[in-house]
Amino acid sequence: MSDVVILGVGIHPFGRFDQSYEEIGAHAARLALRDAGVAWTQIQAAFLSRMYLPATSGARVLRRLGGTDIPIIDVEAACASGGAALRQAVLNIRSGEADLALVLGVEKMPRGFMDPAMIYSPWQIEMGMSLNPSYWSMRAMRHMHEHGTTELQIAKVAYKNHRNSVHNENAMYRKAFGLEEILASPLVCDPIRRLEICAPNDGAAALVVASAERARRIGGRPVHIAACCHTIARYSADFRCPADSMSATAKNPGPTELTARQAYERAGVGPSDIDCFEVQDTDAFCEIEIYEDLGLCARGEGGALADSGRTEIAGDLPVNMSGGLISKGEPVGASHLGQVYEIVNQLRGACGARQVAGAKTGLAHVLGAGGNCAVTILQS
Amino acid sequence: MASTDAAPGRQPIRAGLLTAPLSELATVRLLGSRCEACGETTLGESTTCPNCGSDAVLQLPLSRRGHLWTYTVVRHRPPGNYRGPDPFVPFALGLVELPEGLRVLAPIEADITRLKIGAEVQLRAFVRGRDPDREVVSFAFATLG
Repeated sequence: MSDVVILGVGIHPFGRFDQSYEEIGAHAARLALRDAGVAWTQIQAAFLSRMYLPATSGARVLRRLGGTDIPIIDVEAACASGGAALRQAVLNIRSGEADLALVLGVEKMPRGFMDPAMIYSPWQIEMGMSLNPSYWSMRAMRHMHEHGTTELQIAKVAYKNHRNSVHNENAMYRKAFGLEEILASPLVCDPIRRLEICAPNDGAAALVVASAERARRIGGRPVHIAACCHTIARYSADFRCPADSMSATAKNPGPTELTARQAYERAGVGPSDIDCFEVQDTDAFCEIEIYEDLGLCARGEGGALADSGRTEIAGDLPVNMSGGLISKGEPVGASHLGQVYEIVNQLRGACGARQVAGAKTGLAHVLGAGGNCAVTILQS
Repeated sequence: MASTDAAPGRQPIRAGLLTAPLSELATVRLLGSRCEACGETTLGESTTCPNCGSDAVLQLPLSRRGHLWTYTVVRHRPPGNYRGPDPFVPFALGLVELPEGLRVLAPIEADITRLKIGAEVQLRAFVRGRDPDREVVSFAFATLG
């Protein structure tokens, strides 16, 4: 099985912009090609991840780079869309069908809560079950009840991520909110507050992916894709939108635990071998639960890990060095590739003030509607 | 057992979710489906088990009483065609654990300042207001006492 590497990365800042999604996407793609030292005409296949854009978005964006007849495929797997697209490119290269591919995530989303008709049935919307944060909030309330996790611990995650984002020129907010300010921001769904959730927005990120052999011929500093896994939640293992009920008896592992287990096995590493993490902090509580699901701490100890400072950039388990989705925003189709962009730059030692010293292995994780989860592990 | 056309003039908010007759709201229950093969019970009428895929599935009315497994207070008007009070009033949403082995998502009618995980709750079926040409039966769970 041939080794697959990332040869180049590009990004369009996450935020709110006047430009069309085609312009934003083409910008990130051009930067990735330039970074890889590859011409658009050399690319043999392209995969575009998006959720809120029209059919054939990939072709509409990429025709801006010049005429082509390669397959360009749009991929959608809710918040894990970017992971699903990257996985398709990896499989394409492993199959021998291509040895140089482009993966592009792009999104342009309206301000405010996401359009509920995309994931909920009409009756759920009518009954008031269509506010995404309500699902995460119910998980948070249960975690607080079972494990004694506190609102202060949840706020500390938001505090850390907002503070990290000050050093990320591609993040939307870039403001170091104080703990008191976070805890004084209005409740959206108890116990989650305004400054503890991410906002849907616009953005794009792109990767040039190659077989290791092709990468050697091109040169540069490739980053090895040690694992790229995508799963969906098993039966009732997990309760998140748009579920209307769950089993009280099924004992299946949740999607993050399942996907991480697969990815660790493929990569031949465990959580203690990983130098830096970018994870799905759709809200600050999620990150606490993901600490546990990724095996950074024991079940129930995520709150204590948030307290410990170990997940700070200078800690031994740095999480969301980029500022996370809480400060970058979540352009759904681009979010995972944005995480991969951060990890690649961490492994290159190119992250400046938010650099994790000596990072050689990194993990990116996304999780969303339908229990779609993707985990990518990269090694320098 | 399903209530689709058993009560002329009234319809359930979702087909296959509520027992008939809808004319007797105090006796209406949620419908469930129990799999003979794996034993899992799921919400609503279905012909295939979403756990094991078996089609040996029996419909049954679910208990009206359960307890609150978790909840939140929704403090922002949900997006889209939300049919609750206008102007918006914050409300509780929770997962109610029923003795049949499942947890059902539902609005919780309670004093939102006094909610507690573990609280006993009971199903309430009601005719939703403000539908001009039909009566739609919706449901919630209410705290007891």
